[in-house]
Amino acid sequence: MSSIATAFKNAYINGSGSDLAAVLTPIAPAEDPNRLRSFYQLSNAASVSLDLPYLLFHGKGPKLPKAEQNAWVDIFVVYWEAIGEVLKCEDRSPGASVVTLFNTWKKLANTLIRGYSGSSSLPAWTLPCLYTVGKYMRIFAINADLEVASQGTAVLGFQEEVSPDVEKNANLEEAARVINRMFTLCLSDRAALEESRKWGIYNMTNLLFKIYFKINSVGLTKNILRAIKASAADLPPPEAFPKSHIVAFEYYVGVIHFLEENYAEAEEHLTWAWRMCHRGATKNRELILTYLIPCHLVTTHTIPSKKLLTQFPRLEKLFRPLSECIRKGDLAGFDLAMTAGEEEFVKRRIYLPLERGRDIALRNLFRKVFLAGGFEEPKDDQPPVRRTRVHVNEFAAALRVGTPTSGRSRVDIDEVECLLANLIYKGLMKGYIARDRGIVVLSKGGKAFPGTGV
Amino acid sequence: MNSSVPPWRSTATAPMARNSTFPTNATPAYIPVQARRSLAHSTTNTTNGSFPLSGRQDSPDDESRKRVEFPPPVRSYVQRCFAPENQVASVSIPEMQEKLKHVITDAAENNKLGIIDWERLPLPQVMVQNERNKILANPASSHWASAQPSSPGNATRKRKSTDGPLDTGSPPWRSANPSRFEDRVTHPTTEKKKPRIAVDQSSKSKANLEMRRKRFDLGKGQSPSSPTGSPARSADADQGPVVGRCQALEKNYFRLTSAPNPDTVRPLPVLSKALDLLKKKWKTDGNYGYICDQFKSLRQDLTVQHIRTEFTVTVYEIHARIALEKGDLGEYNQCQTQLRVLYAQQLAGHPTEFKAYRILYFIYTRNWTAMNDALADVTPEDKKDPAVKHALDVRSALALGNYHRFFQLYLDTPNMGAYLMDMFVDRERLSALAVMCRAYKPDVNIRFITEELGFESDEQSARFIIDNSSAELLEEKNGAVRLLTGKAGSLFDQAKAAAHRVVDIKGQI
Repeated sequence: MSSIATAFKNAYINGSGSDLAAVLTPIAPAEDPNRLRSFYQLSNAASVSLDLPYLLFHGKGPKLPKAEQNAWVDIFVVYWEAIGEVLKCEDRSPGASVVTLFNTWKKLANTLIRGYSGSSSLPAWTLPCLYTVGKYMRIFAINADLEVASQGTAVLGFQEEVSPDVEKNANLEEAARVINRMFTLCLSDRAALEESRKWGIYNMTNLLFKIYFKINSVGLTKNILRAIKASAADLPPPEAFPKSHIVAFEYYVGVIHFLEENYAEAEEHLTWAWRMCHRGATKNRELILTYLIPCHLVTTHTIPSKKLLTQFPRLEKLFRPLSECIRKGDLAGFDLAMTAGEEEFVKRRIYLPLERGRDIALRNLFRKVFLAGGFEEPKDDQPPVRRTRVHVNEFAAALRVGTPTSGRSRVDIDEVECLLANLIYKGLMKGYIARDRGIVVLSKGGKAFPGTGV
Repeated sequence: MNSSVPPWRSTATAPMARNSTFPTNATPAYIPVQARRSLAHSTTNTTNGSFPLSGRQDSPDDESRKRVEFPPPVRSYVQRCFAPENQVASVSIPEMQEKLKHVITDAAENNKLGIIDWERLPLPQVMVQNERNKILANPASSHWASAQPSSPGNATRKRKSTDGPLDTGSPPWRSANPSRFEDRVTHPTTEKKKPRIAVDQSSKSKANLEMRRKRFDLGKGQSPSSPTGSPARSADADQGPVVGRCQALEKNYFRLTSAPNPDTVRPLPVLSKALDLLKKKWKTDGNYGYICDQFKSLRQDLTVQHIRTEFTVTVYEIHARIALEKGDLGEYNQCQTQLRVLYAQQLAGHPTEFKAYRILYFIYTRNWTAMNDALADVTPEDKKDPAVKHALDVRSALALGNYHRFFQLYLDTPNMGAYLMDMFVDRERLSALAVMCRAYKPDVNIRFITEELGFESDEQSARFIIDNSSAELLEEKNGAVRLLTGKAGSLFDQAKAAAHRVVDIKGQI
């Protein structure tokens, strides 16, 4: 008796979706490393479709309607086939190919989809099977693409204009198409909510987004988001879904907004994900922060605290030098830190928002100029008032500090004015430039640099 | 900066691979290409009277009854064209009918009535609108933008490549899905037009359509210029490269919908002669419509024969530069995308020059996601190249709002980057003026504006200010014109917002 069949029966009798999904994995469980092999050896290509009904439903098994039984038999026949490919790849036997494995696994996914959509209509509690099959399909597709790339077989169509990434990700894109069918399968289910496949919607979405990000087609996420939005009325509220589904979903939505420079919305979603993310999920928390920190810098002009960064050594390396330069108003240091981290920043797509941190560094530098300006002549018993008329030259001098003497270029007064004008325009500094007199007139009464106490 | 001689003009002949060993079946079995498109153009004149739809002035029902052999989808398409809820205010009924006739004539003549997916084909009014928007949004043809384009007939002639067969002759999986096409075109008044553009009436069927589209379109990427998605492709790709036999130097572009016929494809030696001819013609005639069409067919011939050599790079580079000069960004972007692939294969050419254009292009389209990709593509080696460095500096100056630096860079743009920068320089002037008006009080000398914002004269900057705000902001004091920055309020902010709203991203990848 195959342990896979036993596991299947038990999962079905208990109605446990996750146990059932654990059966349909291409990786043998640690406690039973030979499970896949022994399952595969139970049968052969000629008789597998006859053996499986017996294995799965004979004896003390779940009593299912005939159609449902047949659906599972179909699924397990393809699963058996796929396991054959998995074993071939594991053994590195001649003829083993990840592409073939991927295609067989894709067949499994399609059979599973048919099982849900056909007359057999598998119950919604078995949805985790979709998650598992989808998850591994993505992994196999990536590996299949790598295999294709290593063999260097580029196929050119006769149509003009081949997109640069089309050849590279053919299998992954194929996987996305199949997962998209799974997504539709979940979204379009009209059964009552308790038995609806709608509960699988966010898991499928996350899987799809993962692929879209990987193949650099973030734009495609729009279609999915639109579809979800369109049927939002029929969906359970997000809070009702498993947190793991929703946190990842919110993270992706946040990043999508982030990439479109909608930092306010991005911050909202990312903050939500950050608050709900499991405490122990360090990697996920780190990913969320990777985008939330730059977001925060843009929206609230604040830098991450030391305490926060020390929990995440990788992020500390990424953000600490920049944060320090921003805090100190060290422009030259900021530029150096940007250059040093450029490759990593660009790779993570956070270069553009981080660059805006320069404004904050500049604000902090100019604020120092203002503080260094001291106070007006004290009048009677009035509290001391800061000198609010500052010559543009004083700001220019501040910009010159820190540039090495040898490469010290003449600081262009017009450019200094331009920088000042930008700070004023962005609300980081309150006041105006009186150009004819060459001075900056700053607001009185502790409002010259809003939010910084002076 | 625009007056410098474009590089390709000075080069006598490109060092192309004119290898005589190219395996060509040089049999002069030349079958002239059907002058299909010109026929399609003149359909309105030639087929009048004989064509069954000429009586379309009557009600749509009459029309479909006259010719019973029109399949039901065509009839329902025609009906939808006339349905009141699908009418577009800016497109008159006769204009729409003209286009409809064009579409159906074309389909009937090419026996495509049964092939075209009428359900998803944009309505003629939408096509007319799209064509106009394309032209409107094309800043190079500013006379179009200023004058109301009331004659779509002329308008369509401007870019032949988008005419007739392109719209209707393609098989269903390639026919531009209306909403998808819309994604690429930014309308000046998007809000208002959106509901009209949806082909179907009910929101329910729209949702279905959405699903359906997803089923078919997924994974092809958003890129409209990569129609080689999987289903169509696998069937065709198996046939392998074609070896052309056509000896004609000139050939009109026709978008392939089936495997290419070797008799109409020119082999490499002929193509290289054709390129020489085109370069000469461009220098003497400067007829962009003709040149663009010829280059497209040239590129197509290269593609179907799987020719990817230095010559291919040269063709794309020249076409890209010409398109740049003419402000045809759609065509330019196609070349740019293709060049990126070709450069990746180390086929010589001028990769840094085009990397720089690419960055400037993304500044113009404000596609930050793509910009991030472009930045990732730049190697430390590239950064030493003056053009790439310039483009990067431009980007960073704009990101930080440093207009001072930006306009210094603008006045000193290498290669043909100035054509690209011209497209967004006015936009940035407005941004800068918005900043200046907020920061300077009470006024500044106009001379300062002229110098900071790269204008050629005080008159030009005054004119720009008046055009975009109000004349009351300018005042003469002590013999100098001054801009009353304190009184500008949010005038320039409004102008800036308006200028940033309209960005054309046709052909965007």
